[in-house]
Amino acid sequence: MARFLIRRLLWLIPVMFVVAAITFILMHAAPGGPFDKDPQQRQVDAITQKRLNAQFGLDKEMWLDFPALMQGNVVGFFDTQFFTYMIGGTVNGEWRCGFICGNMGPSFRQRGMTVQQIVLDPPEGKSPWDSKAGYSLRLGLLALIFAVVVGIPMGVISALRQNTAVDYASLFIATSGVTVPSFVMGIFLIIIFAVWFHLIPVVPRDWSDPTVWILPAVVLGFGLLAQTARLTRASMLEVMRQDYIRTARAKGLSNRMVIVRHMLKNAMIPVVTIMGPALAALVTGSFIIETMFGFPGWGRQFVLAISQRDYSMILATTLVFALLIQIANITVDLVYTFLDPRMKVS
Amino acid sequence: MKKLTLVGIIVAAMALILAACSAPAAAPQVVRETVVVPQTVVAAQTVVAQQTVVVPATPEPTAAEKVLRINLGSYPDIVDPQKSSFVNEIAHLNLIYEGLTKFNEKLETVPGAAESWEYNDDATQLTFKIRPGLKYSDGTPLNAARFRYSLMRNINPETAGEYAFITDEIAGAPEWRGVAAEATDEEKAALREVVSQSVLALDASGQPCLEGAEGYAQEDCLTLQLTLSKPAPYFHTVLGIWVGYPAKEENITEGGEIWWTSPKYQIGNGPFILNNMEPFVRARFEPNPNYEGEKAKVPIEYAYITDSAVAFQAYKNNEFDIIGLAAEDLATVKADAELNKEALIYPGSCTFAVMFHNLKEPFTDAKVREAFTKSLDRDAWVQDVLKGLGSPTLTWIPPGYPGYQEGETRGAFDPEAAKAALAASTYGTAAALPEVVDTFSDTPRNRTRNEFLVNQWKTNLGVDVKLNPVESTTYTALTKDVETSPQMFILGWCADYPDPQNWLSVYWKTGAFGERIGYSNPDFDALVNEADTTSDPAKRAELYAKAQDLLIESAPVAFMWNNVNSYLVKPWVTGLVTTPQDSGWAGIQVPTSIDIDASKLPQ
Amino acid sequence: MATATVAGRRPIENTLNTKAPTSLWVDAWRRLVRNKAAMLGLVIVLLFFFVAIFGPWLAPHDPLQINSGQDFLPPAWAPAWSINTGKVGDPQFFMGTDTIGRDVWSRLIYGARVSMVVAIVPTIIITVVGVITGLVAGFFGGTVDNLLMRVTDIVYSFPDLLFFVVIMFALRGTFIGELGNGVFLLFVALALVGWVGIARVVRGQTLSIKEKEFVEASRSIGGDSRRIMSKHILPNILSPIIIIVAFSVPRLIIAEAILGYLGLGLRPGTSSSEFFVTSWGSMMLEGQTAINAQPFMLLAPAIAVALVVMGFTFLGDGLRDALDPRMRGTG
Repeated sequence: MARFLIRRLLWLIPVMFVVAAITFILMHAAPGGPFDKDPQQRQVDAITQKRLNAQFGLDKEMWLDFPALMQGNVVGFFDTQFFTYMIGGTVNGEWRCGFICGNMGPSFRQRGMTVQQIVLDPPEGKSPWDSKAGYSLRLGLLALIFAVVVGIPMGVISALRQNTAVDYASLFIATSGVTVPSFVMGIFLIIIFAVWFHLIPVVPRDWSDPTVWILPAVVLGFGLLAQTARLTRASMLEVMRQDYIRTARAKGLSNRMVIVRHMLKNAMIPVVTIMGPALAALVTGSFIIETMFGFPGWGRQFVLAISQRDYSMILATTLVFALLIQIANITVDLVYTFLDPRMKVS
Repeated sequence: MKKLTLVGIIVAAMALILAACSAPAAAPQVVRETVVVPQTVVAAQTVVAQQTVVVPATPEPTAAEKVLRINLGSYPDIVDPQKSSFVNEIAHLNLIYEGLTKFNEKLETVPGAAESWEYNDDATQLTFKIRPGLKYSDGTPLNAARFRYSLMRNINPETAGEYAFITDEIAGAPEWRGVAAEATDEEKAALREVVSQSVLALDASGQPCLEGAEGYAQEDCLTLQLTLSKPAPYFHTVLGIWVGYPAKEENITEGGEIWWTSPKYQIGNGPFILNNMEPFVRARFEPNPNYEGEKAKVPIEYAYITDSAVAFQAYKNNEFDIIGLAAEDLATVKADAELNKEALIYPGSCTFAVMFHNLKEPFTDAKVREAFTKSLDRDAWVQDVLKGLGSPTLTWIPPGYPGYQEGETRGAFDPEAAKAALAASTYGTAAALPEVVDTFSDTPRNRTRNEFLVNQWKTNLGVDVKLNPVESTTYTALTKDVETSPQMFILGWCADYPDPQNWLSVYWKTGAFGERIGYSNPDFDALVNEADTTSDPAKRAELYAKAQDLLIESAPVAFMWNNVNSYLVKPWVTGLVTTPQDSGWAGIQVPTSIDIDASKLPQ
Repeated sequence: MATATVAGRRPIENTLNTKAPTSLWVDAWRRLVRNKAAMLGLVIVLLFFFVAIFGPWLAPHDPLQINSGQDFLPPAWAPAWSINTGKVGDPQFFMGTDTIGRDVWSRLIYGARVSMVVAIVPTIIITVVGVITGLVAGFFGGTVDNLLMRVTDIVYSFPDLLFFVVIMFALRGTFIGELGNGVFLLFVALALVGWVGIARVVRGQTLSIKEKEFVEASRSIGGDSRRIMSKHILPNILSPIIIIVAFSVPRLIIAEAILGYLGLGLRPGTSSSEFFVTSWGSMMLEGQTAINAQPFMLLAPAIAVALVVMGFTFLGDGLRDALDPRMRGTG
């Protein structure tokens, strides 16, 4: 177990570097740069552009600086954009430590701010939970809890009552969960709950009021809820037909014990598998939901960063996401052994 | 009993997540029935502004409280006078600061912080007299030295502001701004010195004011003298825009790179004080008691909802007082008697045109451009696509702006003439044309627009034009440069300041923006060069009129439409003064006159 | 999946004659036919395929015909409370008209083509790649598993949006990019990043199943790996696969829409004789901006997507039950 953990944790490093390298290639291959403005706007002039490139280290070599190596400057060989971001390098005459020091770099777009300040620093005088990352994390967890708490019982019940009205109702809910895009569901729920019934404001002014979190969490969690419910139902049906369930029942175990001990545990493998990455995806936020509800989270930052080519924000978010995904997957592998002790994690 | 423990854990987790929101008043229903979870309740936060105005960080709007709630749209990237460039960023700066000059409701340049200005005979020197006794919102004095600092900061290469080029008329500015990063300190200092001599703050005796903090406190430092590298009789108007706003040096130094995010450092001389700025949620501005002009009457609150359908619902729900009105919602508004009265639609500051790349086939041929131009039914476009939120145009400078030419008819919709022009072109027939592609920045709205456009050419000219949607930054990157610029695309220009120079010289002169579609006309250049340096207003206007005439004659593009500003304004908002340049929200140019009629507020 | 069903009959007979004397497939087919929900699903799916193929003959109007002054017309049958614009519907536009007065119903019919292709083709690629990767990783374990799963971690982690931006830009102008108004490029891009979810689920299931007695048994009598994977493991993990596959259909249709939201959508058709004219995704996007003026611009494509998914889900469930070896003979 310990060996497994250590090995997997060590694997984090090469994976992160590969992810960073791919992202780096992609974002520089995308046309335009961070100082290009919306097409309707006046663009930055050439002089300022050059100056900004220098200030942000965009005038350096991308990967490896061969001319510097020719001059025998080994440090200079690695003093390039990629390694400056990942490990460290000189920018605008100053040495700066990179991502390995937990430094996410200066934002190219929200000038003057570092990526940490944007996503991790809460507004003045508030707790870290009120930072953008904190908001996304909270919303993601709420959505996940919603999906699990509603989805799993829904799946279990519809498996136990297969082909009854309950089953079809849950199928209907699940199908609408995946087929209605969040940008559609969001606006309809807003109209129903805010405009018709006046239960919540359309645009939450105050996110410290818990009631305004419900709608975005529901919209965010609905897709996962649908999948969870359907997967739970399918695996339950699968498990119910296995011989050992018949044996368990034959032994006279109570119906409830059979369901919880034997069926549910075995049926959870596919659910847990999708849950890991889903959690990572949920807590890094959702562009559409954040835009629609005016939610100050991280997800919007990321999508904006891509369209604005805010290189450090893109890299930072991707790397954090990669880290979360891997930790989630390690956890999933560990949970497998708990659910089915015969499964060996290699 | 495992199941129950699990439920317990989940409920507790939920409570913790929500408890982090620290809401003392309304507890979530889920929590109510469970054990009390130890909450790390952060006491209701208060933000103490410089003015000892204590306002809770999250003020709950009551019907009785008078506050103007505006949906501004996207959140600003940066709110720094010398670095900002985007409309929504400027909407913040406009409230906090005031420049040497400003624009009135007729878009005339009127005194702002400067009570008067004068040019020397050949318009190469501009001298401002600052009003005596001006104060910042924190009570500290504001004098010419402050403005000198701002202009110097704007030009300083270290600032690398996105609108820095707008003051390039100041002698030595382009050189200092463009200094190579590798230049020695001496070289940089020398270039700085030139600018430093062109931007002088002078005291009553005509001597340069003291440097640094002493200079800022000097009461008689009230003259700002600018030396220009060439005659520029429009330059006082340029200084009405945000780049000249006097942000305080000590605050910028003390606050560091992120000084602008804090109300503590965002101290200005404008009608409002920044009270609180919560990223991506809202910003609140209180009236500035130290403002020398008419005092503002109600606080202003900005929200940042980019989805227009959501903003519209919020407006109907009385959560906003002013929002932008999207074309899609116009039909709904018109059908509703109440909403219809609240719609405010008036001319805007932009002109949009279909750009033809003059160096790419087939638009190298003026006859082809003519054919494409004349087969565009602008009235149908305005009616069907813009739903009336726009006005068709055949000229460049929009109505309401100095230099607007009424009664232009060249390029008007005429399918017969269009077909004739195509027949007279070197290609002769539609079939002989090379493939024509219309490139656009892909949004749902632009999709319909360009589908309509292509349909026009197909119906009226018989030419099949293909569509090429691209991602927005790709679009920007493509349209920036003459090499990569697409064959055909729609692009607009909005006024920075009300002067024909901003429309003609800045856009169409060789080497300027028109360059990206390969437009270069020596006769045009000669005319605008002469106009730019002419002091006599009448002569100047005449020269610009000639230049615009020439531009339309050579028809490099198809002028299409002028935008309109369209907003929904609640009936209790009074005293709104609108101008074409109201980008951001209705009434932004004269925010002090706005009040709220409490008697009309919904109870 | 769907294509397998449509063309399913002949292979059944072939198998019957050559290989399976126990009439496994015939048995399955019988069970499938008797399953009412599955048949309903089949009918829905076939109906949409029919519409996708014969759209141009079914649509009452030209989907690109702009009717000046007739924009945002509600359907003639729409209840009064759903109309905010005070406009009166015209019976010739069954679902009303859109922003510039085009017939929503005809656009919906034409849109079926893009959406069905975008949903089906990448789903097949995703399923094949995902299932093979997951099976191999789970079955062989060790280094193979580790390496394959690290690759999925990487594919999962890197920003697919950025990938789309680059692909669309780099390949738009080329032959591949032009193919079918960019549809081909779109589904290649969607497939490239979409297989990881399935791969992980299949791997998880495989890890569990391969420890079961019957696999042990098969292995001990010397069954080769490929046979064990396809004959013993795959049939036992079909249910989650079917669900994920059925759910990837709407997800891809919506992905196409969201890409349009971010400026990476399909090239819109300029002539109704083109193979791809519009898509449900772009219709939903346009509908969302106009939700106050003409809600049916949004509702019509949303209901269409829901029906397709419903069809696939019913059919998938039925297929799974029909193919379940334990159900044999019970039908």
